[in-house]
Amino acid sequence: MKTAIELENIRHEFDTDKECIRLFDNLSLSIGKGQSLAIVGPSGAGKSSLLSIAAGLEAPTGGMVRFFVRGEEVDARTLRAHSGFIFQQFHLMPELDAIGNLALPLRLKGRRDAFDQAAAWLDKVGLKDRARHRPHQLSGGEQQRIALARAFISRPDFIFADEPTGNLDVRTSEGVTSLMFDCARETGCGLVIVTHSSRLAAQADERLHLEAGKLEMAA
Amino acid sequence: MSKIQLTLENSLNDLKDGDGRISLTTQAALLMFLITLTLTSASIQKFLATNLDQMLGADLVVETHAPLADTQEATLRAMADGVSVTGLSGITLTHGDAWARVQLKSVDDHYPLEGTLKIADSPGALERSADRGPKGGEIWLGARLATKLQARVGDTLTIADTPLKVSAILLHEPDRLMEGHNVDLRAMVHSGSLRAEMATRGKDRTRYLISGTPTALANVEEWVGETLPAASIVKKQGGRHPLASFWQRTENFLGLASVILFFLGAVALDMTNRRWLAKMRYRLAVYSSFGTPLGTGIAMAMGGWLISFLMAAAVATALAALAHGAIVAKLQAVFPGARANWDALAILKTTGLLLMLLMALQLPSILKLARSSLLSLIRHTGEGHYVWARLAAGLLAVSLLAAAYSDNWLLTGMTLAAMGVALVLMIVLTWATVRLGDLWGRRRAGLLPFAFFIMRQRLFAKSAQVMGLGLSGLLLLFTLMLMRDLGAMMEGYSRTHDGNLMISEAQESHVAALVTWADENGAKVLTLRPFVYAKLLTVNGVRLQDYMQKPSDSMTTLQEPVRLTWTDEMPQNNRLAGGTFWQADDTAWQQISLEQEVMTDMNFSYGDTLTYQIGDRQYDFTLVASHVFRAGRGSITFWFQMPATARAHIDAPTRYMGSMELPDAAWDKLAALWQQNPTLALAPLRELTERFDQILAIVTQVTSGYAGMILLLALFVLAASVSGFRADDRQKNGLLMSMGLKDRDCLWLNFHDWAVTALIAAVGAVGGTWAAGLMIYEAQFGMTYRPDLMWVAGTVVLMVASVCVVGYFACRQSLKVSVRDLLGG
Repeated sequence: MKTAIELENIRHEFDTDKECIRLFDNLSLSIGKGQSLAIVGPSGAGKSSLLSIAAGLEAPTGGMVRFFVRGEEVDARTLRAHSGFIFQQFHLMPELDAIGNLALPLRLKGRRDAFDQAAAWLDKVGLKDRARHRPHQLSGGEQQRIALARAFISRPDFIFADEPTGNLDVRTSEGVTSLMFDCARETGCGLVIVTHSSRLAAQADERLHLEAGKLEMAA
Repeated sequence: MSKIQLTLENSLNDLKDGDGRISLTTQAALLMFLITLTLTSASIQKFLATNLDQMLGADLVVETHAPLADTQEATLRAMADGVSVTGLSGITLTHGDAWARVQLKSVDDHYPLEGTLKIADSPGALERSADRGPKGGEIWLGARLATKLQARVGDTLTIADTPLKVSAILLHEPDRLMEGHNVDLRAMVHSGSLRAEMATRGKDRTRYLISGTPTALANVEEWVGETLPAASIVKKQGGRHPLASFWQRTENFLGLASVILFFLGAVALDMTNRRWLAKMRYRLAVYSSFGTPLGTGIAMAMGGWLISFLMAAAVATALAALAHGAIVAKLQAVFPGARANWDALAILKTTGLLLMLLMALQLPSILKLARSSLLSLIRHTGEGHYVWARLAAGLLAVSLLAAAYSDNWLLTGMTLAAMGVALVLMIVLTWATVRLGDLWGRRRAGLLPFAFFIMRQRLFAKSAQVMGLGLSGLLLLFTLMLMRDLGAMMEGYSRTHDGNLMISEAQESHVAALVTWADENGAKVLTLRPFVYAKLLTVNGVRLQDYMQKPSDSMTTLQEPVRLTWTDEMPQNNRLAGGTFWQADDTAWQQISLEQEVMTDMNFSYGDTLTYQIGDRQYDFTLVASHVFRAGRGSITFWFQMPATARAHIDAPTRYMGSMELPDAAWDKLAALWQQNPTLALAPLRELTERFDQILAIVTQVTSGYAGMILLLALFVLAASVSGFRADDRQKNGLLMSMGLKDRDCLWLNFHDWAVTALIAAVGAVGGTWAAGLMIYEAQFGMTYRPDLMWVAGTVVLMVASVCVVGYFACRQSLKVSVRDLLGG
């Protein structure tokens, strides 16, 4: 049963007051469930735009994007219902404690065991004793581990991560990176990461380099 | 279920921050005011409706200030099924050493035509009904009067040597409505009990209570209109009764109050909405990052908002129930017997209406929420501008409120127009000041140019802040100004009186007795000015009822006969305000001078012809001059004055008004003077002061309560303004401090920012207040608008200073956080 995202000859550009800036053109890419993919490249190359298009958050200016979930072609909205996100700024809900943040996706899906599952995931990411702490009482690394667990807790088909270690020091980054890949492997989801970090990118099954509108396999 | 629980949790969490609390409190305050207003209004309306039968005593009442001629009365009786004649005169009743000024009603054998009288054997005893009034030789005393005179059933009172036996305590007259909100002490006798000379003419009233078929009543009405121009008609049907107009005026003021309060609340809510929207957009974007559909997120956001509204409604209803009970208890002085009715349907309707209005205010935010996107979390896009949508939603909501609460569209339109003037002024000033300031500062160094630069970058947010503060300033200023001037108008009634006893009305025969009594008791007559009663009938041939439709104190007074005096020279306590006053030897006697405020209020012009009914004849006068009261030279002043030569042409009894100075020992002897001259109207200054204080106390309580609400909401606006922009200011301060600026510099920069904001808002508020004053004072409250420049300047300074001080403390608070925290927002 095919679960994948297919970008075919896509083009993306945006207008400023003076000119039209083209980010990329004629770009094709296929991302499957169970596969991890890292997109690297200089700032302004269009990495985040590519991630947004792949996640169905915005439509490309040209070309075709197709989403398949369990063998069926679906629209962007359905894909998003089967996706999770990890952000550079963590984006935890400030008014909720750690376990509340973790339980949130399951509660929104109407799951009665939301807090039990959240407690298990807290244990898994090593923050069991921080369950009642609010985001501002946690360090950056701890916040990102919560955000990471929150993305995986509902076992989505795809996880999109935008600079997930961009706000963390090297040591913390390594911990978060290995946790992220472990979770991806355990849940069997597809993982798409945009990053500047070569250490992080190196962990992915596939690495793509986006620069000057061209997407190439990276070493 | 978990989504509902989560919505509830979110709603409770939202109340933990400042914006949530301000929003909830504002909604509760607004709802409390509107529910209290609705319940009070419903109680009074119910009182009026259920008491109409028991308050008019007939189908129709014709009131005249002189009894009809025999032929006229015969015509009236021929047209109607039943007629009862009652007379009403102000006299002083005595019992032992106690005395009291009362309204004495004389009734015939047919009184009342409809409804029943309620009487008892003592003020506190069980009441019983009576179909007819007192018999000849009997008198019924009102409960308060009996207490004041210390008279009981069985006692005998003497009126002009006629002994009358107290046979009952009068609790209710079925024609009570005719007295409007008059709370004078009352007594009732049979008309056969009074001697003929007791029937005085002038200020006394004769009423013809009439019953009949609708056709007969229409015929009576037409006949009265043609034959008796000075008579007034009160009908059971059609709302033409005194209390209706009194209550309408009150409702006008309260309607305006609702619009003003709602607008203030809307400004406060709009400011907190900005933060609410940012929070909801963030929440929805995060929700959608783990697959929650946007529709579910919006439904949860709205659900949370609704829960918070319901909490506010519960608190507001409880508070409104208490306030309503207290207000109706106060209003019982005006509407005796009114009860606080609990009307659940009215509460539901009001709550529903406010919910719809707040939804209208919320509409731009909901639309904006529909555009929430996960992309904003990835790209950190701003919220964009939606000032115009918010403004349009605010105006829509206020218009809906006006439609629901105000039946006075002119007043509502004027209020909205004044707000419009203020808004335009503030928008123009904000844009001009900030853009010109930025232009001026481009090549200059220093904090002020930098402040202008920052303001220019945040022009839309700045405009919203200025408009919010300015509108609340306008509403606050206007309300305070209106209350100050209404208060001053009330104070005007307590002009200093010379002497301690006022001769409010003495007939010619009383004067000699008065002078003799004064000589015997060491009292002194200070002033005594003559007058005749004159009823203004037409203005340039147009009937007074048709001449002006707007509510006016002058108009209300002119519906009754007023006092017309004569003089050859301007009295010492008056000065000429305009026109030309006559000379002593002027032969043209049909000239008249009018007090300036009345002239302005009634919109009269020099040269107008005023026709009066004086005695049995009509007289034309030309308005030639206007005069104003000059304090410190005697208190007796008249609205209308004519040349002394006019008196010879007028056939009517002369009456006098003046003042006396009584030594302490003479007060106890007053009862004897009144016993001999019961129609002599003397008002001790102590009693006048007491009456005035009672009225002023009610007015003060109502306006203070209202001012309290306005101030409370203005504080909410200020709090919402500071709270709503705190995050922006923290981020800005953090950025500046990270660049090496000191705390002091940041404070100074913020001070510039707040000062410019407050100054523009204050100028807008003053402009709007000025426009509101010009439009509303004259048209709706019958007052002349004379802005006090010092007062206006003082309030501007105060407003700017308050905003700057609050802004300064808010900034100091935010600077206590470290640079890193500041940058984190």
